[in-house]
Amino acid sequence: MNMAKSESMAGAGRGNAARSRAGRSREDVRLAGDGAGSALLLMAPALAVYAVFTLFPIAVTFWLSFTDSNGFNTDAGFVGLENYRKAAADPILWQSLWQTLLWLVYHVVLAGGLGLGLALAIARLRRSQVFFRTAFFLPHLVSLAVVGVIWANIYDPFFGLLNTSLVAIGLGGWTQGWLSDPSLVLFSVNVASSWQGFGLYMLLFIAGLQDIDPSLYDAAEVDGASAFQKLVYVTLPGLREVMTFVMSLAMINGLKGFATVFVMTNGGPFYQSELITTYIYRLAFQSQDHGLAAVLCILLSVLAITITVVFNKWRARLSR
Amino acid sequence: MMNMLLRGAAFAALLAVAGDLKAQTLKMWGPEQITEPLIAELWKGIKADFEAANPGVKVEFIPPTGTISNGAVQAALQSDAGPDVVLTNSGIGRITVVKNAKLVAPLTAQYENRGWKGKIYPWLYTELKGQFGGEIYEVPDGLDALGVWYHKDMFAQKGWAIPKTWQDFVTLMKKIDAAGVQPLAIGPRTTGSAGHLFGNLLQSASGTAAVGKAVGGKLSWTDPTMVTGAVRLRELVDAGLIKKEMAGLDLEGASRLWFTKRAAMFVAGPWFTANARKAGYDLANAGYAPMPSDLAGESKPTGGVGWSWLLPANSKQPELALKWIDFMLSDAVMKKRAQHAASTMIYPRELPGIEPPTPVLKDIFAAAAKGVGYNPSVYLPGSVLDTYFQVIQGLISAQITGEQGMAEIQAKMAAAQ
Repeated sequence: MNMAKSESMAGAGRGNAARSRAGRSREDVRLAGDGAGSALLLMAPALAVYAVFTLFPIAVTFWLSFTDSNGFNTDAGFVGLENYRKAAADPILWQSLWQTLLWLVYHVVLAGGLGLGLALAIARLRRSQVFFRTAFFLPHLVSLAVVGVIWANIYDPFFGLLNTSLVAIGLGGWTQGWLSDPSLVLFSVNVASSWQGFGLYMLLFIAGLQDIDPSLYDAAEVDGASAFQKLVYVTLPGLREVMTFVMSLAMINGLKGFATVFVMTNGGPFYQSELITTYIYRLAFQSQDHGLAAVLCILLSVLAITITVVFNKWRARLSR
Repeated sequence: MMNMLLRGAAFAALLAVAGDLKAQTLKMWGPEQITEPLIAELWKGIKADFEAANPGVKVEFIPPTGTISNGAVQAALQSDAGPDVVLTNSGIGRITVVKNAKLVAPLTAQYENRGWKGKIYPWLYTELKGQFGGEIYEVPDGLDALGVWYHKDMFAQKGWAIPKTWQDFVTLMKKIDAAGVQPLAIGPRTTGSAGHLFGNLLQSASGTAAVGKAVGGKLSWTDPTMVTGAVRLRELVDAGLIKKEMAGLDLEGASRLWFTKRAAMFVAGPWFTANARKAGYDLANAGYAPMPSDLAGESKPTGGVGWSWLLPANSKQPELALKWIDFMLSDAVMKKRAQHAASTMIYPRELPGIEPPTPVLKDIFAAAAKGVGYNPSVYLPGSVLDTYFQVIQGLISAQITGEQGMAEIQAKMAAAQ
């Protein structure tokens, strides 16, 4: 009897809860219905800006990829898949694609690595941390074009700081043509670009380090862990979230690489530092081949989306 | 009542005229280096003279952010808020780009109507007429004459001289190298600079007729006549007479080598006087000679139209722009420019009795008077130029052979045609 009563009460309770949920849901729908118009109205300016400055250019880029547009003619003709055929047969495109991927890896390793290294080095400092944090972040405030000019001068084979310093300290044999050697040029330019970018990553890593519970270090200490073991078993796992964020950011920044290459080598010598972005610029604004340039823009977008999706899936699997 | 109406109408007309006068502003793109005080002084004077000759007109200079080669001119014209008249570096390759984009207006009729035809060298007019099936889109402002610059004092001290034959030139380069000086500086990261040396080498090895045919697509770049120049460049690199590291230099870096006398020679045109002046180099010490050649009569500078006036298709002041070009072609302005210390070029017609302001310009004018060969950077189609410059970088960085380089250029030429 008691059981039956309690079941009946439970049933009534479930019924009430269900009715209450249904009531809330109806109310939500009504509220949503009431608010949808206002929400749309409030979002309209942002949507309009997004449509004009993002969706419309994307649509135009797609359209351009099927035309022989030179960017200025209003009577550009439809050429079907001709630009895609030209792109597939263009060896410079494939070279620039490979170099873009290499550039991305260099950026993640150099800028991300340096950011992490310096964050670890200065995170424990008490008084001087602010100074070092500011000093290391400063390059990030310099425009990439200016960075390109500065580093091109540093790399000057005859007057540059790097080679003259090497000679001054008796390492004349190590001097290089930093921007002329085909096997070095992409790396050299990437160093300049990464120098500008590491400051932001360093700040993110410092923020991540501050979030790690200090008691974990105390426990590790009690267990007799060495500094290296603390780094491997406490610090790096504690930075996992920040690391994945920094990696995503660095990959996106890597794919956007343009200014330093444009200023320092213009893709040379003989295409050895050509990236997809610089090749797009060259095709669109120097050769006026906007059709082919549009195909490359689409290719770059596909590349960025693929890398982001794959990376996010890998990250999700890792966190499980 | 009638009186009041008439007064009102007269006042309105006056306002309209005043408004019209206010609108008479000619926006001019150029010249380059307008921020340099000496050049600015010259152009401010020209501007003042034009404004005085055309009451109610104001000329506004737009300092150029670049050229047709890097898309700056195209961007400015396409903005529809750009200049009414443009002075930029030109040549058929560059003009093709803006002409195909319909950004510039044809000027052929003006050559007859405004008498421009008689204000430039006849050979120059013939050349312009032959470029786009009889249609002309530019008015030459200055011509280039690229040759070998050297330090008079250094050469005198060491007993060196620019020889007559290619073999002797190589021997000279070896002597200079042995003396611990870079024989020849080049900054191929600046595309023009790459083309200056390479054009000279092609001229020296193949001669004007062959290069002329090649840039016009009538002779293959892989033809043995044409390949020699590229092979020679690679040989100079392999012999260490042109350092591979120079592939990483731009015009500024290479000029620095020359101005500081760490390099003995440099290939440049009359415009280099402006760079020299800026660097504080004593121009009286600059010598100039055409690149030696084993072909009779082919040791001559390369060049062509260096700078031209263009009329944008969307110019807000087309009539005023044409007036400005008339003014620039006038004897008074041309002589004023030729004699000014800021003068850096050869003018598009003979100016008898004019004494160039710097001694080296006198040498350049004398060399150019015997004829000028083709500078492919100026004459190649726009879609080939990038490959042309990359090939030169490839040769200097020893990545490709002369034959491979010329095959690359020929492939692009074939596609362009």
